[in-house]
Amino acid sequence: MLRLFHTCVLGLIGAGIVHLAILFMLPGYSVRDAWTQVSTVADYYEPVRLEGSNTLPAPEDPFLDAVACRFNLEDGMLSVRSQGDVPFWTMAIYDERGLNTFSISDRVSNGSFLDAVVLTPIQMQRLKADETAETDQALFLETNVIEGFVLVRAFVPDETWQPRVSAFLDSVQCEALESR
Amino acid sequence: MIYRAFLVVLFLVIAIGGGAWSVWLVLDKAPLFGRLTSGPWEAFPVAGTPEADPYSRARHVRTGGLALGPSEGIVLTARTDSSGENLRRHCTYRIEGTMPSARLWTLYVTDADGNALPRSRQKRSATHSGMIVFDANNRFSISVSPHPVPGNWIAVEGNGRMQVVLTLFDTPIAAASQLSDLILPTITEAGCDA
Repeated sequence: MLRLFHTCVLGLIGAGIVHLAILFMLPGYSVRDAWTQVSTVADYYEPVRLEGSNTLPAPEDPFLDAVACRFNLEDGMLSVRSQGDVPFWTMAIYDERGLNTFSISDRVSNGSFLDAVVLTPIQMQRLKADETAETDQALFLETNVIEGFVLVRAFVPDETWQPRVSAFLDSVQCEALESR
Repeated sequence: MIYRAFLVVLFLVIAIGGGAWSVWLVLDKAPLFGRLTSGPWEAFPVAGTPEADPYSRARHVRTGGLALGPSEGIVLTARTDSSGENLRRHCTYRIEGTMPSARLWTLYVTDADGNALPRSRQKRSATHSGMIVFDANNRFSISVSPHPVPGNWIAVEGNGRMQVVLTLFDTPIAAASQLSDLILPTITEAGCDA
């Protein structure tokens, strides 16, 4: 009887360990997270529109359209550019678990166009040390995310804006800049 | 010997079964941590960001949503009206008051699981700050109803429960640690279809 009780107590301790193990391993093995879903349809540096299909995560808000682009900062700094005039846009950096690690809105931009460079702190230091580097109008966004995706959202006030917003999102270019 | 084998099996069943079951229970059934509330509105500002607790993070990864960051905005959801009754699609509600300062906001209705209701061609189950008619004091009144209503109207169809989702974009409250000081619109029931 004592051994039965002993086994139950050990079992409960084991259950606690299994609970924590599953909890912390789940993000790494999930196939439903946004990163995995974007990865199945788009290669690195290939912008993909997130629309209400079954496989891709799409913004739930009916007034938002979005485009995602995967990157790996080991290839060099990431440049994200887009042109056009839309009422409101935001950009966010998601890590490889699909968590939103950093975001900006068009308030920080110099105009309604988007011109941002995503880079690691080390790349930022190298860039600052390099006096010949062109640091024009771009926004420099430092992040510790090495592999992930950027998501540009744009607000569509009504259907008449749809072509303009679509043009803005379709013009999103993301490319790896050569690291020096 | 058989008794010992039984104990080993019992240990494995409790450890693996109990561990897996308890994770499922917490992720699927328990309410999320980190909830901020104000009247009928609730928000989970850190859900889907690295600052979230491990349970919210695991749940977010499992559902695969795209969370808004603090610089983008904050999502507030109401499942009940201001008196605490569940929101139902065959009833008429009035959402009245003022909004906290934000660059723009959107308001739409979803089913009980958070899926946007199907939009028919002429009427959208959604509106936003640029579409709304405000009165002289910058207050507004939006009707959520299955029947056409003069003024600001969000159309709903069907039966069952619903949620009202309010998203404030580019707003200082997205970084707030509490919502209770905020003045958010009230949701009042104004009659139901028989």
